[in-house]
Amino acid sequence: MRHWGSETRYLLLSVAPGALCIVVFLVLPSLYLMGMAFLSNGPYGLPTLPLSLQAFRELAGFGFLGWSPGNLYTLLRSLWQTALATVLVIVIAYPAAYTIATRPVRWRAIMLLAVVVPSWTNQVIRSVGWMNILAPDTPVSNLAASLELTEAQMGLFPSQFAVIVGLVYNFLPFMVLPLYAAFERLDHSQVEAAQDLFAQPWAVFWHAVLPQTLPGLMAGTVLVAIPAFGMYVVTELLGGGKATMVGNLVARQFAQASNWPLGAAGAIIMIVMTLVGLRVLRRLGQRLGGDREVVL
Amino acid sequence: MTLHYPAKGLAAALGLLLSTQASAQFSGQTLYLFNWSQYMDPNIIEAFEATYDVDVVENYFNSNGEMFAKLQAGGVSQYDVVVPSNYFVPRLIETGLVQPLDHDQISNLDNLMAKFIDPSYDPGNQYSAAYQWGTTGLVYNRSALGEVPTSWGVLFDPAINPNQPFAVAEDSQVSLGSACAYLGHGYDCQARDALTEAAELVLQAKQRDNFAGFIQGTPVLQQLVRGSVAAGMTYNGDYIFLKSEDPQGFADIDYVLPQEGAEIWVDTMMIPAQAPNPELAHAFIDFILDAEVGAQLSNWNYYSSPNAAALPMLDEILQAPPVTPTPAQMDRLSFTPSLEGEALQFQQQLWREVQSR
Amino acid sequence: MTAPGLARGLRVFWWALMVFLYAPLAVVVFFSFNQINSSARFAGFSWQWYERLFANEVILSALGNTVILALTSSAIAVVIGGFLGYGLYRYRRWKLGWLIWLIYLPVVMPDIVFGIAEMTFFVTLSQYIALFTPGLTTMIIAHVTFQVPFVALLVNARLLSLDAQLFEVCQDLYATPLQRARYFIVPVLTPAIIASALLALTLSIDDFVISFFTAGPDSTTLPIYIWSAIKKGVTPEVNAMATLMIAGVIGVALLSLLIQPTTSATSSKRRSAS
Repeated sequence: MRHWGSETRYLLLSVAPGALCIVVFLVLPSLYLMGMAFLSNGPYGLPTLPLSLQAFRELAGFGFLGWSPGNLYTLLRSLWQTALATVLVIVIAYPAAYTIATRPVRWRAIMLLAVVVPSWTNQVIRSVGWMNILAPDTPVSNLAASLELTEAQMGLFPSQFAVIVGLVYNFLPFMVLPLYAAFERLDHSQVEAAQDLFAQPWAVFWHAVLPQTLPGLMAGTVLVAIPAFGMYVVTELLGGGKATMVGNLVARQFAQASNWPLGAAGAIIMIVMTLVGLRVLRRLGQRLGGDREVVL
Repeated sequence: MTLHYPAKGLAAALGLLLSTQASAQFSGQTLYLFNWSQYMDPNIIEAFEATYDVDVVENYFNSNGEMFAKLQAGGVSQYDVVVPSNYFVPRLIETGLVQPLDHDQISNLDNLMAKFIDPSYDPGNQYSAAYQWGTTGLVYNRSALGEVPTSWGVLFDPAINPNQPFAVAEDSQVSLGSACAYLGHGYDCQARDALTEAAELVLQAKQRDNFAGFIQGTPVLQQLVRGSVAAGMTYNGDYIFLKSEDPQGFADIDYVLPQEGAEIWVDTMMIPAQAPNPELAHAFIDFILDAEVGAQLSNWNYYSSPNAAALPMLDEILQAPPVTPTPAQMDRLSFTPSLEGEALQFQQQLWREVQSR
Repeated sequence: MTAPGLARGLRVFWWALMVFLYAPLAVVVFFSFNQINSSARFAGFSWQWYERLFANEVILSALGNTVILALTSSAIAVVIGGFLGYGLYRYRRWKLGWLIWLIYLPVVMPDIVFGIAEMTFFVTLSQYIALFTPGLTTMIIAHVTFQVPFVALLVNARLLSLDAQLFEVCQDLYATPLQRARYFIVPVLTPAIIASALLALTLSIDDFVISFFTAGPDSTTLPIYIWSAIKKGVTPEVNAMATLMIAGVIGVALLSLLIQPTTSATSSKRRSAS
């Protein structure tokens, strides 16, 4: 702390380029976008001057027809699909992480890699793969049809089911990794103690395993639920217009339907919900699992 | 039996017609074309590149809305030639996204048929020159659906099609127009309650179990061949094009213009307001309007040509339906209305409702 | 440790999971060799889609764009992010909470909002500064912005795992800042730099949404090309393209497996030593 001046200089030198980059190329554009939400919609979609809250009113569903619930449905559908996908991911990731953690050490790297590699492929390609598998007249679709889950000629895609499958597929590795890290640090004496007390397997899990893996679970939930909420590609390709989420709604106002203020208002909602979701999950994690922070 | 001039032949022919001054003027430059997919003969592009010693970069869009949004998002200063449909032309003019055409640089404009010179959507051809025209109709798989009436009911009536997958057009005005036609209000309905009723119909269709998405044009045809869709909306030229490439796959697939009414459209060439190379763009438009090039274009993409001078060189297949509708069919075809202001916003909001519920 | 029934159940589960994870990729690869244009019926083996692929200039230029974009943005991000991470560590006793928030911002922002914000921002800027017309430049800028936080956090985490006294050791040995950087910090950070460079590359190649919104007419990347191909109507040419990309990813994965054993060995030794 002696050369305070030069210390600050070094700090600025190392930190400034990165911080500036984020401020100029993320914060500024985001503020600009959010500002657009308070402008009126010009005749052909570009924002024009009189300031107004019309965009928010349209987002809430008010328009020429009075109130209509379309956008609300989209928001609720986003929350529902995100929640469902997250729960499914958790259900699959727990046994997967546990399996990896209980194998001999030399296998673990390969197994982890095996789980993670599909997420290194581009998300468009992953969706194409599911489009191929779930299309009409494929083995999987025919199986579903014979089980009378779908009509004979319809495939499993496009549908809400396909979207959920796509979401789970995309985000599974992001839950497996933190859970695996948590399992590695698991204190087995607690598990053994529970077993010694003749607890049922489910009770062993609930009382001995779950509390210890909570930080990993919370970290994973953040890594899964937050991006899933804003998902665009999977719903667009696998949903066929039936599973529109908030991200699709916002993107459409810029890429097909031209209503920038409305899109900007939607973007604000997405940002707010993301931040709120983050805060809720972190608080939940802290409340339930002590103060073990997980550095990304 | 199609007259296809190979690229070199075309270039040679035109090279003779155009003086050397033409090729020197633009040498080494690039033209950015923003067009519908499967709409431009690669041979024509090669001929243009050879004649003027330039490079052509093609980008594609699948719907007018996409094209419009892309222009607004910076495309206005990146593309030299764009090809919108008639009902988007007034919108483009009014938003200032396109620039007036300099008729002095487009001598071939006179080649156009009378009805395409001074059209209602662009008086005096101030901003646009017709490219191709065609129809949008119903396409379906006969063996999957059986004998069905020539009606939009194939898409909108669950009784006609209870369980085969079907698709509705991505373009809001086209879908709403067909729904309006089915309901008896005519394809070019503009009254608010008519449109609202149409929107409800499309929404009901979307909520049926066998709805397979908002798809149109080439993608829906490809899905028809693969069997993942049994009915949809597409353009006559796309249908013939793919059918000629794969007659066996299309043996059971029919294109019809429903009795209640369908769309007739004109696509036009326009130049964005801040195009990087407007002179080259004018040269390109002039090139396309040439009689031989126009004929080759239509012979390749199976659409009707607006070029009167090209008529003698068109293939026979282009002179019969579905490419050229019969007079009886023409009676029930309407242009999609050009909406603006509140009417446009109302229609867009209706469509948003349909998309999100 | 585990009951035999549970162990067998887990083994079955694991293989089912592998099927689930790799079936889509396998199907994509499988149908890229299809003789007919279908992804429902396999009619015979054929290389035709690959032949068409390599004759397709547009795809090759998209590949070029993808590679240039990934390499350039990763290089820039590693430098900027490395310094940022170092600054975070070095001045961790100062009140830099706001900086942590700033760093997390690109990570938590939904990429659709990120992409659209960049698009509208660049479109407006491009009216005044030609540099910002949508194209490779804007894509690189956008990619760097979302890569920097990951690099910074990785570097910071690595530095945090070091024994802080090591810095004092440098001082006791009268090392100048430059010598300290050269003989201590850079070697120690090398694994983190490599890891973050790989991560940045992956993020860039994987990205679709942000690239889509910041791209210009001749800066199509492979994901954007595949997307438009899907929208136009899928042919197995798309599958062929996807297969090559999957092969690339698996190749990198296998490579990393080969490098892995050495680094994990040294790090665990170091862990057990300290």
